[in-house]
Amino acid sequence: MERDENAAKNPDGAAGDRAPLLSVRDLATYFRVEGGVAKAVDGISFDVMPGEVLGIVGESGSGKSVASLSILRLIPDPPGHIARGEIRYGGRDLLKLSYQEMRSIRGNEIAMIFQEPMTALNPVFTIGFQLIETLRQHHPQMSKQEAFERAVLRLEQVKIPDAAKRMRDHPHQFSGGMRQRVMIAMALCCNPQLLIADEPTTALDVTTQAQIMELMLTLRARREGGSIILITHDLAVVAETCRRVIVMYGGKIQEVGTVDQIFSSPRHPYTIGLLESLPSAQRGKDRLHTIPGNVPYIMDLPTGCKFCTRCEKVIDRCHQEEPELHQLKNGQLVRCHLVEDEAVKVSGDMPSTTTSAPAP
Amino acid sequence: MAAPLLEVRNLKIGYPVWGGILRHKVDEVQAVDGVSFTLRKGETLGLVGESGCGKSTVAKAVINILRATVPGVHQQGEIIFHTTDGPVELLGLSRRRMRPMRAHIQMIFQDPFSSLNPRMTIGSMIEAPLRLHTARTRKERIDRVHWLLERVGLQASQASRYPHEFSGGQRQRIGIARALAVNPQLIIADEPVSALDVSVQAQVLNLLADLQEEFDLTYLFVAHDLSVVHHISDRIAVMYLGHLVEIGAADTVYLQPAHPYSRALISAVPEPDPQADRSGRVVLEGEIPSPLAKPSGCAFRTRCPIVRPECAEAVPPLEAKETGQLAACPFS
Repeated sequence: MERDENAAKNPDGAAGDRAPLLSVRDLATYFRVEGGVAKAVDGISFDVMPGEVLGIVGESGSGKSVASLSILRLIPDPPGHIARGEIRYGGRDLLKLSYQEMRSIRGNEIAMIFQEPMTALNPVFTIGFQLIETLRQHHPQMSKQEAFERAVLRLEQVKIPDAAKRMRDHPHQFSGGMRQRVMIAMALCCNPQLLIADEPTTALDVTTQAQIMELMLTLRARREGGSIILITHDLAVVAETCRRVIVMYGGKIQEVGTVDQIFSSPRHPYTIGLLESLPSAQRGKDRLHTIPGNVPYIMDLPTGCKFCTRCEKVIDRCHQEEPELHQLKNGQLVRCHLVEDEAVKVSGDMPSTTTSAPAP
Repeated sequence: MAAPLLEVRNLKIGYPVWGGILRHKVDEVQAVDGVSFTLRKGETLGLVGESGCGKSTVAKAVINILRATVPGVHQQGEIIFHTTDGPVELLGLSRRRMRPMRAHIQMIFQDPFSSLNPRMTIGSMIEAPLRLHTARTRKERIDRVHWLLERVGLQASQASRYPHEFSGGQRQRIGIARALAVNPQLIIADEPVSALDVSVQAQVLNLLADLQEEFDLTYLFVAHDLSVVHHISDRIAVMYLGHLVEIGAADTVYLQPAHPYSRALISAVPEPDPQADRSGRVVLEGEIPSPLAKPSGCAFRTRCPIVRPECAEAVPPLEAKETGQLAACPFS
């Protein structure tokens, strides 16, 4: 009955029986660099259910941003390329679409917002021009007047005061928080089903962050089945907004679970270490727990478990053999040799029933 | 109670606004508007606030680099640093007379890479302040560089390497080693961990705490991440639009904030606990106003949930609250 409980607790929760909105299977994105191939994302699989807010957390170099750019096929080629895998959306494999077909998916079906909106907005055009251009690009039959009204409406939805007047302003005339609102308005202007938000609040102050997160969640709730993939390094933001979390390290998924599972009973030594290294008011002012060492450079990742060089519970086997993803009885997925006795191995391609919702 | 090391009294800093075809000064932005606080020996004071509140400007004023970096800056008030030879007023010091003071006050920056010269080995960079401020021989200096590198968790053999060979966390360790080189009493840390990954951030925070104990350091810790500031600080000062709105013991300010702005700021901090009670959250409306068009009276009144008509009349002074801290709001 855990699933029902979760659905009740998280009104944004997805019903477990529905088909996933997006299915990523064995996705691998490699970059050709000096001296070899950097495996930024190396075989990840997950589902996004309709209406779900899915968090992907990881530190720099974990592959979380490359994974999200791969979904929209925005990986610069060269040096990068998607080496293998499948990204199923609406019955089609996005990796097999033509350039033109992919263009109509971006914005209309799947939209993305980035950490620094200033780099995504064109500094020499007004906000209004950019919004209207986006709308007319996707809806060529729309008149200028219609597009203008729709753009103002979108700016009002993201709570920009004096929206009609601000249409004439350039991006530099907006503050950081307001620019991120404009980005959200632009991302949502064609009603996408899936919004990928890559560190949307990292550059913002906490008060603005709270406003932006609230805004993203309310706007999504207005649309039936609208989903968000939230990519962040901030575990606290994930705890507040997501239903399920994927923890990545070294280009691989290390742990998957509901936020309650991940935050109250994390099982991967990396997840445990990450949570313990956060300062918290409850834990007092003692020394912080730390994960020893640094995030390894992507070309220097160990051959066995990607985390074995920094793991406190490392055993000999970790250096030679990379653990498979295992499923615990409560549905949590963990890539660690130490849980093997109590868990079932999940084949490289995980079945969607186990990844989309915690098993009953 | 320990003796005061640094006293800031009624500090006001105005940045010039240049305009017109002759680029003359047309206006002044009051970035810091009457800030006073005392930093005692061996303590850590955390300075928090949103971007643009003036916290970094206060830090730069203490190390006296504003005149060099912002032409036409207007500084007023007193910054008194207590050396073993008696108090020195820093704000009016000439460049030449400020230099010996810099051996006592050092700074750690947010982005260690931009504060490191990419063409210098890290050894020669850590050695530079020793050459400037001490009369040590070359041999003594190199020994000290090696000792410092090991003290911050790196290896002495890495002295001949260049900054690009190090990760973010290691670069911050190098920045800390350089700041420590001349045995300073006060270290000003401006967002020292905000560019680091979570797992590395904890390492650097622990290192800063260890060094404080070992060398009896005093920290002025400027950061926007409140959970980090609460963890490292003994006291916290909250700034809003150039004003100090609250100051007090770290636990009091973080757990029982008195000023309505501190309350909103602290309640907006997300908690890494999905079960946490979030009903008490105050989500502020609107944005921080431009310092060029600062509201009259209390600077926070345009966004304040408990605003009254009187708030427009005068800037409320800091007053003692029942919970022990000082807050600049008579109605909280």
